[in-house]
Amino acid sequence: MDQANSSQHRFWTLLSKKISGEADPVELQELHLILLSNPDLHHHADMLIEMWAQQMKDSTAGSEAAYVRHIMKHKDEFFVEETHGEPLYTDPFPEEKRSFFSKRRLTIFSFVLFIVVATGAIYMLTRKTETEPVAGQSLSSIATKNGNRTKIILPDGSQVWLNAGSNLDYNNEDFNKNVREVSLNGEAYFDVTKNAEKPFVIHTKTMDIKVIGTAFNVRSYNNEKTAEASLIRGTIEVTLKNRNGVKFTLKPNEKVSVANTETDEIPVRANKKVAVKENSKPVPEFSVDPLKPNPVNNIIPEIAWTDNRLYFEDESLEDLAPILERWFGKTVIVQNESLKRNRYRGNFKNETIENVLSYLRFSKPFNFKFENDTVVIY
Amino acid sequence: MNNPDLTHLGERIANDDQLAYRELFIQFYNKLSRFVMGFTKSKELTEEIVSDVFINLWRRRKNIEDVKNLKLYLYVSAKNITFNYLKKLHRESLTDLNAVEIELEDPFADPGAVLITREMNLKLKAAINDLPPRCKLIFTLVKEDGLSYKQTAQVLNIAESTVENQLSIALKKIGGAIRYTFRHN
Repeated sequence: MDQANSSQHRFWTLLSKKISGEADPVELQELHLILLSNPDLHHHADMLIEMWAQQMKDSTAGSEAAYVRHIMKHKDEFFVEETHGEPLYTDPFPEEKRSFFSKRRLTIFSFVLFIVVATGAIYMLTRKTETEPVAGQSLSSIATKNGNRTKIILPDGSQVWLNAGSNLDYNNEDFNKNVREVSLNGEAYFDVTKNAEKPFVIHTKTMDIKVIGTAFNVRSYNNEKTAEASLIRGTIEVTLKNRNGVKFTLKPNEKVSVANTETDEIPVRANKKVAVKENSKPVPEFSVDPLKPNPVNNIIPEIAWTDNRLYFEDESLEDLAPILERWFGKTVIVQNESLKRNRYRGNFKNETIENVLSYLRFSKPFNFKFENDTVVIY
Repeated sequence: MNNPDLTHLGERIANDDQLAYRELFIQFYNKLSRFVMGFTKSKELTEEIVSDVFINLWRRRKNIEDVKNLKLYLYVSAKNITFNYLKKLHRESLTDLNAVEIELEDPFADPGAVLITREMNLKLKAAINDLPPRCKLIFTLVKEDGLSYKQTAQVLNIAESTVENQLSIALKKIGGAIRYTFRHN
């Protein structure tokens, strides 16, 4: 090998190392010197660096479906069969004895979420208000206190995860006869069994949601300014009750937010996108917005709770207090007015309220103390 | 090259977090499939092997913290399982790296490219596809899969200097193709 050839060879070795991030400073310097004495190699180097920076189509296309096939193939390892019937668990959250159960529950949660998303079953949450049942005996009512969550299997096999501070009612006798109807106040995740002949309808105060084959989340707490339905996949038909029954179909990855007209309690979760005109006509304003997974962690805020995740983005302490209250089943009081405007983001799993607050005060400081079942932030 | 995100995913998987497991699966499924497919040349077998890679990981999740480098673990595991399958099928010869056929997606679709024209892209693609099998495999593992020289050497059971040599051969050939195009522009 003559000198020119040898230096050519060295050039390619060094360029490869530079491009792939393997070169050390001495080698980078050496490459620099070769380029100085061989200007014609410059263009090469630049082009190859650009070539390297271009990725192949780095798609994950098809891998979601492959994941579902993978899970189904090994479903015994991911999915623990539960018995049918009434609430399967009510676990105070957080507490010490939860390890076994929470693990199982998590397994089920994630399994269902994926299957739901992949097969187009249903995810929903609704709420009900004054429609108190008349026929006492045939009405099933399942309620969760703050800090508790429950799983229910309905007579048709549909599964419902009920978030904290929610209740779900349905008529035992009528359910599954012609129409499958439930009323929900609070938040729930539904995995609805498919049955085209018997539509599944969720009644809430501000909207009725007819399930056409889908996965979605509905959030409709009495003490919140807005109610939401977030569609993950499939189709749902939403009827707005106080707007002359306006009806529309929601597309996947969309969310409808409807203002609660009778919010007599303290507003809890102001949705910035919805123009709520205080003291104006009693017609609910509503908006349809895209669902946005967080670009960093891919979490969809609306359904993070189904993964046992306490998740919020840019929430004021004032709005956060009732959320923590529901999640942990403690009363949360913010004593210092100026603290209420502080905004926080958070992503917690299996943390105690002490830990959550301790983390939050790192970003914007506050003090907190426990008084029995009450947490005072000051 | 140890990705902190991956370390975090590993910790979550050790805690039975299926969302993390799913994330890892989706992040690596197509990449591992491309790698395995180079050896098996069979879609069905490839899917089975990659599924095995992940179910093994799930079964051993409690010890996942012993795995220093999750990415390396996945590729080594994929290679081992592939070789076992091929042995079972009496196709040992296919574990020869020179018989590997890596299929690459259409590359260089980046509209932000300044220097590389569409015509050059075609030449580049052709040059990459014309690389000798082992050279192409190494090029792909370093560029597309983001493995270091050392990791590539560990996955393929070859010397690090071989990786270094093969990669510089690959770049030289690809560079030659660009120069040719450049002159004709």
